[in-house]
Amino acid sequence: MSKGNCLAGIDAGHVHTKAVIMRGVEILGYRMVPTGFDLVAAAQTALKDASDHAGISIGDLGEIVGTGIFGDRIKGPSLNVTDTVPEYMADAKGALFLNKNSRTVIDVGGNIHKAVRYNQRGSLLDVIQNDKCADGLGIFYTNMAKAMGLSEEELSELALQSTKSLSLAIQCALSAESDAIDLMCQGSDIADVADAVSKIVAERVADMCTYLELTKEVVVAGGLAKSQAMIKHLERLIKQDVSVLNLPEYVGAIGAVMSHEGGK
Amino acid sequence: MSYNLKAWKDFKNYQSTCYRNYAYASQGLRCMGSTWSVLAPLKGLGDDVYILGGEPHAASTAGTFPEEAREDLAAAEIAGLGFHSCSYLKLFVGEVVRDKIGLTDGTIKKGYPRPDLIWTTHLCNLHSKWYQEVSRRLGGVPLYPIDMIGGGDAEKDPKIVKYVCDQMEEGIDWLERVTGRDFSDELFIKAARNEIKVLVLWGNICALNMRAPAPLDERRLIALFPPAMVDRTTDQAVRLYEALLEEVQQMVETGESVAPYQRFRIVYFGLAHTYGHPEIARILRDAGAEIVASVYTFGTAGNFRGFTDGKWSWKPIDPAWVDQLDLSTRRDALSALAKIVLGWPTWQGVRSYWALEQMARAMVAEFNADGLLLAPTRSCETDFRNGYIAMQRIFKNEIPTVEYDTETVDVRKMDIPGSKRKTELFVHLMEAHKKGGA
Amino acid sequence: MKKDSEVLIEKFRHITENTHEYAKSLQGKGRLLAGYMCTHVPEEILYAAGIIPVRVLSAHESQAMTRSYIHETYCSFSHDCAYQGLQHHYDYLDLIAHSSSCIHMAEAFNVWVRFAGFQHKSYLLTFPHIIHTKHASGIMVESYGEFKRFIEKLTKKPITDEDIERAIKVYNHTRRLLKRLWEFLRHDRSPITGSEVAAVTLAAQVMDKQECNQMLEQLIQGLEAEPGKEPSGVRLMVTGGACDDLRIFDLIENLNYSTNLIFMDSCTAARYFWFEVPEDRPDKLEAIAEGYISRIPCPSKDNVPGTGEKKRFRFIRQFIEEYKPDGVVFLYQRFCSPQSMDIVALKPIIDMLGIPWTELELDTTVPKSQFGTQLEALVEIIKRVAP
Repeated sequence: MSKGNCLAGIDAGHVHTKAVIMRGVEILGYRMVPTGFDLVAAAQTALKDASDHAGISIGDLGEIVGTGIFGDRIKGPSLNVTDTVPEYMADAKGALFLNKNSRTVIDVGGNIHKAVRYNQRGSLLDVIQNDKCADGLGIFYTNMAKAMGLSEEELSELALQSTKSLSLAIQCALSAESDAIDLMCQGSDIADVADAVSKIVAERVADMCTYLELTKEVVVAGGLAKSQAMIKHLERLIKQDVSVLNLPEYVGAIGAVMSHEGGK
Repeated sequence: MSYNLKAWKDFKNYQSTCYRNYAYASQGLRCMGSTWSVLAPLKGLGDDVYILGGEPHAASTAGTFPEEAREDLAAAEIAGLGFHSCSYLKLFVGEVVRDKIGLTDGTIKKGYPRPDLIWTTHLCNLHSKWYQEVSRRLGGVPLYPIDMIGGGDAEKDPKIVKYVCDQMEEGIDWLERVTGRDFSDELFIKAARNEIKVLVLWGNICALNMRAPAPLDERRLIALFPPAMVDRTTDQAVRLYEALLEEVQQMVETGESVAPYQRFRIVYFGLAHTYGHPEIARILRDAGAEIVASVYTFGTAGNFRGFTDGKWSWKPIDPAWVDQLDLSTRRDALSALAKIVLGWPTWQGVRSYWALEQMARAMVAEFNADGLLLAPTRSCETDFRNGYIAMQRIFKNEIPTVEYDTETVDVRKMDIPGSKRKTELFVHLMEAHKKGGA
Repeated sequence: MKKDSEVLIEKFRHITENTHEYAKSLQGKGRLLAGYMCTHVPEEILYAAGIIPVRVLSAHESQAMTRSYIHETYCSFSHDCAYQGLQHHYDYLDLIAHSSSCIHMAEAFNVWVRFAGFQHKSYLLTFPHIIHTKHASGIMVESYGEFKRFIEKLTKKPITDEDIERAIKVYNHTRRLLKRLWEFLRHDRSPITGSEVAAVTLAAQVMDKQECNQMLEQLIQGLEAEPGKEPSGVRLMVTGGACDDLRIFDLIENLNYSTNLIFMDSCTAARYFWFEVPEDRPDKLEAIAEGYISRIPCPSKDNVPGTGEKKRFRFIRQFIEEYKPDGVVFLYQRFCSPQSMDIVALKPIIDMLGIPWTELELDTTVPKSQFGTQLEALVEIIKRVAP
C-alpha cells in the first residue's frame, strides 16, 4: 500500500486508547490498549497494533490525527500526530460515517459521557457533556463486573435476567458502587444487582440527554454501548429507539480521521 | 492596546486599609458580619467603627493566600465542619480555629481579632450558621441577624419592607444596649446615603459594559467591586466609585477597553471566574471571548433599574436620584436602605427562580451576548448555584449555553480538566452558532 | 390472630406506602387536595377551607432524572420530591403550597412550578427565614391573610373564623394524640416500637386529620390495654432532618443487639406535631402564627437575634431528659446545609451529657450493611463490648 493513502486516528481516552487505520472509506485495522500512566506509550502501542491488524507498517501511514481527552498530550514528534480534533467533533464525524442517517450520537465512555447533535455533514449543532458527579460511569461498570466476578458482557447478560428492580444511590459512581456492594452483602439476587448497575448508568446518561433535542437517528457509541441491558434502560428512559454503532469504541478514532480529509 | 485603569491602586489601598483598621484597631468598635446586610446602622455608633465582612474577607484571603486558604479549610474540617459546607465559611472559621487572620496587603496577623459584635443576615442556611459558629467559637459574641426575606420585587412589597425596617429599628436598640453607645442618626443617615450611592454608582459602572467594546473585563470587575462589599458607607468609598465611573465613561467615549480583543461577548452566572482559575480564563481570552456581564460582580454590590412589569433591566439608576432621596428621619433612611438592598440582584434572585431567569434574559439581551456560561459553585447553595441547572435547560436552545462546576476556594472540589473541556466546548459552540450551526 | 393495635399500625403503614391511593380516595369523596413540601405551610387554613393537606414525600427510588433540573449537590430528599413532580405522580393535586424553608426544598418546589405543570396551581407563602425575630409574627399574619384570600378564591367560598377555629381544634387534637402515642416510648416496656410510631406519625402527615384522629384514638386505647414488649437493651434517639424512609427506623430496631428507637427529632417525626396553636383567640391567623413560631425550630430558621442561639437544642436537651436515650444517632440528608452546621455545635453538648453518638448521612437508599455496622458499633460502645 502506498504511503499517504492510509490515515490513522488515535482516540486517547481515560481508560483505553483506541487506534484505527483507514484508507478512503475502508477501515483496515483497529485495536485498543489500556491507557495507563504513559499516554504516549499507550498511543504508540495502539497505533502499532492497529497497523499490524491492517497489515501495514506505521511508516506507510499518511497523517495521524488525535482526539480524546488526552488528544493534546499525544501530539508531538515521537508519535507524529499532526493534528488533534475535539472529541465531540470526532464523535459526530465518526458516527455519521458509521451511520449515514444518524444525527445524534450518545457516547458513553470510561469517564465521560456526552451527547452530540450534528447535521448531514457532521458539523456540530449542539453538545452536552455530563456533570461532574456523573463522571466515571464506564469505570464504575468495569469495577462492578470485577467485583461480581464477571466480564462486562456477562454482567449485561445477567442483568437481562433480572426480575426485580433495585435502587442504587444516584449521587455518583462511588455511592452507587457502595450501595451495590451493600446489596450483594444483603444477599440480593446477583441478576437484580447487575440490572441496577446497568440502570444507573442509563439514568445518568438519560438525564444528561434531556438537555438536548435528540434528533433521529439516535446512535450510541463508547464501550458501554455494548451493554444490551444499559441500552434497554436508556431507550426506556429517553423514550426513543437507539442504534448501537458498529465498532462503538472506535467512533472517536474514526471520526478523527474523517475530520481530517478522511473518506476520500 | 489594553487600557490600564488609573483607579486600580486606590481600590486596592482602600480594601487593605479597611482590613488593617479592623485587625489592628486598639480602640473603637469591631463589627463582623455579612456584607449582604445593610451596613449603615453600624456607622451610627461612631466614627471608630471597623467592619470585617465575611464574604469579601474569605474571597480576598483565598486570592491572596491560596496555601493558607487550604490550611484554613483543613483546620475547619478537622474542627468538625462538614466537607459539603460553604468553602468561604470554612475558610473564615478556619482562621478563627487557627487564631490568625490574613489581610489583602499580604500580611498575616497572629491572634484572631475578636469582634465586639456580629451584624448579619440570612442569605442562606449556611450563611446564617456561619456567624453562629464564629460567635460560639469565640466564646459567645453578641449576634444580630436581620431576615431580609428577599425575592423578586421584594422592595415593592410593603410588608417585606416593613418587616426589614422593623428588625433594623430593633437592631439599632440592640446596638445601643450591647455597645453602651448612643446611636447618632446624623452619622447613620450620612452613612446610609453613602451606602446607597456606592451601590448605584457600581450599577452605573457595570451598565457601561453594554457598549462595544465593553470597557471592563471580568478580572477587573471582580477586583473593583470588593470595596463596595468591604465598606460602602464612607465618603471615601463614594469618591472611589465616582472617580471610577468617570474613568470608565471616558473609556467608552474613546472606545477603549482593558481587553480590546472581543470576538464573543459572554454573560456569566457564577462566582469569580478568572481568579484562582487562570487556565480557564486563558481559554476564553485566546478565543477573544470576554465576560462582559456577570451576575456575581454586578449583583453582589450593585443596583439597577430592576423589575418593571415583570421584566428586569440592567440599565442604571441615575446617581443624582440618591442625592435627592429624602432621608430626614431614621425611618426614612431605614426604608430607603431596605428597598435598595432588597433590590439587589442577589436578594431578588436567591429566592425567586423567575427573577433569576428574567435577570439572565435581560443580561443576554441588553449586553448583546453571544453565549451564556453557567458555573455553579459546588459549595454554595445560594446565588452561585441555585437555579443554574434549570437555566441551562431553559437557555440551551436560545443561545450557546454551557455549564461547568466551579468552586469558591476549595480546589479539591474543582475539576479543572473537566471545566477546561467545557470551556473549550463553549467556545466551539459559539463559533458554530456564528456560522449558523448551534 | 392480630391485635387491634397491630391491625391499625399496619393500616397506618399501608397509607405511608400508598399515599397516592389514599389521597385519591379522599378526592373520590369530593375533597380537594393540597400538597405541601415542608411543615411551615399553615395546614389549618387549608383544612378550614375543606382542603386536605397532603405532605409530599419521597419515593426512595433512584432519581437521576432530576440532575438536569436541580444541581446534583442538593439533598436527596429535595431531588426525590422534584422527581415525584416530574414523573407526574402528584398530578391529581389541586394545589401545591410551600412556605420558604430551605433552599433545597425551594428548588424542588420550583421544579414543580416550572417544569411539572403546577404553574397555575401553586402558591408560595412569604415566610420568615429567622423564626425568632420579634416581628416574625407580624409578617406571618399578613402572609397568612394573603394565603387565605387566595384559597377563598380557589374554593369560591369564604373561610370564616369559625372554620379556622374548628380546623385548629382538629389539628391540635391530632398533635395531642400523637404526643400521647409517643409517651409510650418513654417507658422501658413500650407496647409499640419506635419505628411503628414513626410510621403512624408519617401517615398522619398525609391523612385527613379527622380520620387520623379516630384511628389514633383507637390505637392509643388499644395500646393502653396491652402489656409492654420485651425491655430493650439500648435506647437510641435520632436527631436530624427530614427522613421519611421508614426502613432506617426498622433497621435501628432490628440490629444484632436489642435496641429501641425512643425518639426522633425530625421534621417528618416529632417536629411535625410537637406544638399547639392557641385556641379560642379572637385573631385566628395570629394564633396560628404564634403556634408555628412556638414549634421546635427548623434548623434552617433557628437563629435567636442577640445571642445567635439555636433554640432547637433546648428541646433536644428536654427530650434527652425525658426519654433518656443511651445513644444518639445524627441522621440527616447528605448535602443538608443547616443540619451539618447544627451538628458541629450539638455534638459537644451530647458529649458533655456523656451520651455516645454516631452519624448517618441519608441518600436515596438505606445501605443496610453499612448503616447496620455503624449502628452496631454505637451499641457496642454503649454496652462497652470488648473486641
